[in-house]
Amino acid sequence: MDKFSFKDVLVTVAGLFITVFIAWVLISATGNNPSEVAKYLYEGGFKGTRNIANSLYQATPLILTAVATLISFRVGMFNIGINGSMYVGALYAGWAGYRFTDLGHFSHVTLCIAIGMFVGAAWMLLPALLRVYAGVSEIISTIILNFVAVLFVSYMANGPFRADPIAPATPRILETAELKQIFPNSQFNTGFFIAVFVAILAHFVLNKTTFGYELRSGGDGLVGMYPSRFSSYLGIPSDRSAIIGMLLSGALGGLAGAIEVLGAVRYFFQELEFNQGFDGILIGILGKLEPIGAIIASLFYGAIKNGGFYVDYKTDVAREIIIVLISILIFFVSAQKIVKGLEKYPIVKKMDSFFSRKKM
Amino acid sequence: MEWIEIFDISLVRSLLRSTAPIAIVGLAAAICSAAGVLNIGLEGKMLNAAFAGVAASYYTESVWAGLAAGITAGLVTALLFGLLSFTLGADEVLAGLAINIFSLAGTTYLMRTIWGQAGFFSDPRIVGFEPIHFTFLEGSFLEPFLSDFTYSVYLMFFLAIALHIVYYRTRLGTAIRATGENPEAAEDAGINTMRIKWLVTIFSGALAGISGLFLSLENLTMFTEGMSAGKGYIGLVASSFGNNTPLGTFGASAFFGLGDAIGIRLQGVYELDSRLILMIPYALTVVVLILIGIRQRLKVRPVPIPES
Amino acid sequence: MNKETAISLKNITKAYPGVVANKNVDFQVYKGEIHALVGENGAGKSTLMKILYGIEQPDEGEILINGTPQVINKVETAINLGIGMVHQEFTLVPSFTAPENIGLGQEPKNSRGLVDWKGLNNAVMQIAKKYGFEVDPGLKMIDASVGVQQRTEILKTLYRNANILILDEPTAVLTPQETDELFTVIRTLVDEGKTVIFITHKLREVMEIADRVTVMRAGEVQGVSETNKTSITELASQMVGREVFLQVKKDEAQPKEKILDVQNLWVHDARGLLAVKGIDLEIKKGEIVGIAGVEGNGQTELVEALTGLRKASKGKVMYLDEDIASSTPKNIRRKKIAHIPEDRTNTGLNTQLSIWENLIGNSYFRKPLSARGIFNLKKVAEHANKLREDFDIRAPNVSLKVKSLSGGNQQKVVVARELSEDPSLTIASQPTRGVDIGNIEAIHEQLVQMRDEGGAVLLVSAELDEVMAVADRVGVMYEGEIVKWVNPKEVDQAQMGLYMAGVKD
Repeated sequence: MDKFSFKDVLVTVAGLFITVFIAWVLISATGNNPSEVAKYLYEGGFKGTRNIANSLYQATPLILTAVATLISFRVGMFNIGINGSMYVGALYAGWAGYRFTDLGHFSHVTLCIAIGMFVGAAWMLLPALLRVYAGVSEIISTIILNFVAVLFVSYMANGPFRADPIAPATPRILETAELKQIFPNSQFNTGFFIAVFVAILAHFVLNKTTFGYELRSGGDGLVGMYPSRFSSYLGIPSDRSAIIGMLLSGALGGLAGAIEVLGAVRYFFQELEFNQGFDGILIGILGKLEPIGAIIASLFYGAIKNGGFYVDYKTDVAREIIIVLISILIFFVSAQKIVKGLEKYPIVKKMDSFFSRKKM
Repeated sequence: MEWIEIFDISLVRSLLRSTAPIAIVGLAAAICSAAGVLNIGLEGKMLNAAFAGVAASYYTESVWAGLAAGITAGLVTALLFGLLSFTLGADEVLAGLAINIFSLAGTTYLMRTIWGQAGFFSDPRIVGFEPIHFTFLEGSFLEPFLSDFTYSVYLMFFLAIALHIVYYRTRLGTAIRATGENPEAAEDAGINTMRIKWLVTIFSGALAGISGLFLSLENLTMFTEGMSAGKGYIGLVASSFGNNTPLGTFGASAFFGLGDAIGIRLQGVYELDSRLILMIPYALTVVVLILIGIRQRLKVRPVPIPES
Repeated sequence: MNKETAISLKNITKAYPGVVANKNVDFQVYKGEIHALVGENGAGKSTLMKILYGIEQPDEGEILINGTPQVINKVETAINLGIGMVHQEFTLVPSFTAPENIGLGQEPKNSRGLVDWKGLNNAVMQIAKKYGFEVDPGLKMIDASVGVQQRTEILKTLYRNANILILDEPTAVLTPQETDELFTVIRTLVDEGKTVIFITHKLREVMEIADRVTVMRAGEVQGVSETNKTSITELASQMVGREVFLQVKKDEAQPKEKILDVQNLWVHDARGLLAVKGIDLEIKKGEIVGIAGVEGNGQTELVEALTGLRKASKGKVMYLDEDIASSTPKNIRRKKIAHIPEDRTNTGLNTQLSIWENLIGNSYFRKPLSARGIFNLKKVAEHANKLREDFDIRAPNVSLKVKSLSGGNQQKVVVARELSEDPSLTIASQPTRGVDIGNIEAIHEQLVQMRDEGGAVLLVSAELDEVMAVADRVGVMYEGEIVKWVNPKEVDQAQMGLYMAGVKD
């Protein structure tokens, strides 16, 4: 794969340095101690079984949303609505969790997940059709649907799916629908393994199957390339690929939400807030639109996210700084001219070709 | 109360109030789109300005300091966007998105870290914009239609007309429209398209900033996390529906404003869940998007076949 | 006629990497004349005009305008010197009217600083009237006919006080009536003292409108004549050059049964104009049929109709016993028809993908590359590397993204993919465009090999040498029709020139 070239790694690492520097400045400016923040960040992410478990728990939805995003980008659609899919997937998985009684554990969990994925995919149907048949920008339609999703699930939790007159939440899911938590004091659950499995499956399908090849043939770049003349010329229907790609990414978003509810929260309530959809976009880009890269980047991100909670708890610094820093990193990484500019230096070229020797 | 009774003066006032924030950011979007710059980052500019405005007003207890801070925030964010997209070659959509994510997280972070508050920040020390009362209109027929609105409503009218004049009656406006439609023709005519793009980016940054300011310093004086709530995107859709012209954008924004206003009033008539009411602007956006799509398809004129 | 020299280009030489576009070119235009600049694609006419207009700088030589030496290193300078150019691709803003386009960038202002549209409209209508054309000041360019758009472009130059107008292939997009209207305009311009340079490859028009003509070929001037003292035949032979066509080394063709039978094919182009007008075409197995002709005479649309990328408006395309006139590309490929497309980067390749991913575009679904939907990447690598070797694709490995390859290498990827699946019919459109000499030969040899192994080849190319060297039979396409079928071994260049200029026997 030509993607993780030396140049790209160099830019990412340089970006990290700059981000850390900016973090130092920001934190000091608000009167806090940067090294203390750094210590807590590290501890919260990596020290101790509980923290590591929680970091992996944080990474679980991120892996899925990142893969969801990259799938849509690679078929040439700019899907920014994974967050919305997550919300509706969570809601309906939660609903299925208490609605269906008398089912065995395996069947119940499978049913809930399936429903969550189905609803998540359905949420993406309208934007996909609008783009393919009416040329309406999927960027805008998916973003708007995010806002609709939040309101919709909140309404449902308060209304039709409401548990009891007092709490605006759905009833707790039945035990048969739970994804088991392994450690006593952490929300880490078996959903993590599902997420990793799905990511690996995505890697396999995208890169090693003809189906994946057909999906990618029309796009496979960061900028939405749909519709593609190359696909049509080869006889591959790029319309179909685009729609399938959008539905798949919606399904994975729904899965992320379903796992959150089934594995951690165990019921859907009004104040439940998901941001992983947006984080997924950033991670997908950092991971160069490859599922394996997404796994690695998600683990990293999950750890510093957890670390961020710890920092938030122990100091005055709010945890949102993590996202601020990551977006700064994205600014850096997305600035193509910087990457191209690096090519001017002969040493970069040499290292580049050195690393790209061992290929097909 | 019957549903028909909601159509009264008060609805008109409500309509204008609801339209203003969307119209102003919509005009910002329109002028960018007219020059061919796809400015997804308007949300971020609004948020940053809303925050900066509240912060400045809080510390100086002056609403004008808030205004200056907000406009500056919008401008600086716009500069960042321009730098990333034009100078550093990042994809415009990606840069805009990253800016939005950055701004949302950044403003939330600052609010929580500096003031230790989560969710929203409100304080009596924050000074907001007062509605303007026109004494000369007192008692006249026009009073309920034109008086006692906050600045944003008046600004919206002013901008719509002023931008319309600029678009169609100045060299700058023509240059902007040419840059957006056919940059080669513009360059050929000696227009520096890069300069035009920067100009519209900066100006729309200031406008989006003003729009954001009015969110946090007008009817309510507080900053809520994520308070722009998609208005930046709705503005973009409004401008697209209005063909990126000032008057068209104003009209499209009014359409959204109307939906909003009617929804709020209907809540009094029928007992509707507040969330459903809040969904109205977004649902309308989706409807408008569909209409835009249909309009686009109808534009492709089937060419007659003159078989010679 | 005034014999004062308006433009004098002396000893102009301009080279690009790999090709000398202009070599010691002398070009003189008298004031008040209509001067035609003629030559095939790649003869150097556009380069010469780009130098005159300030878009390019000559490596050697000098430019004199009205007798005074000038350095023209920007378009602005050229415009200030009174030179105006109407490009082949119009630079108009679609939603603007004619006056809005004409005044763009320098609109007159009134006392309050606003644009004086009325004044502009009047000024434009006055200029138009002076030169004998009509302008509808309210008509937007997007709603205007091509003829009107072109006249707006001409008015643009006149508004900027051009005295010397360069028109680049102006009749390429016009109907016959619009062409007549254009010629009337040109004559009026000249009556009013303007000088017109007319770039074209249509010899009949040259004889009709021009006073003098300069013929270029392969970067050099072949001849300068007065039109009333020369003939189309003479011009044609100057245009096309050498006596005999060089042939690629090949055996006699052994054509067998018919494989493609195109009957009365009509195709519209993207603008709705008729690009292919009732073409009949037959290809047999074991032969290479060539379509020659200057680009823009309908070849693109013809190929698109045959390969499923564009719907035929009328007619049949019989492949063996089936009419594939409205088939999809998928179907056409299933019938073992290969297509080397004109547009390499957007159609023939996905430059974001790797070489191997592009190479398997027509074979990924077959064993051994994939089985039951799953790739056998080892076999894919083997196959890709074999193609890389066989077709001499210069790249360190096949995982490289295609966009990092040179144009010639990219084309080799396309050719490798299309020719490697043993097609029964290969349709190759401009297959060696942008490819360097050594590789051009290789591609030609591959096409001949296809033929010798019993395949059929349709070669469409604007490179006359290529078509004449490789094909066994050549049809000359002009304005949507095939004006003549020739045997490349029996016709000389001058004759071809005539056919390409639309002259039927």
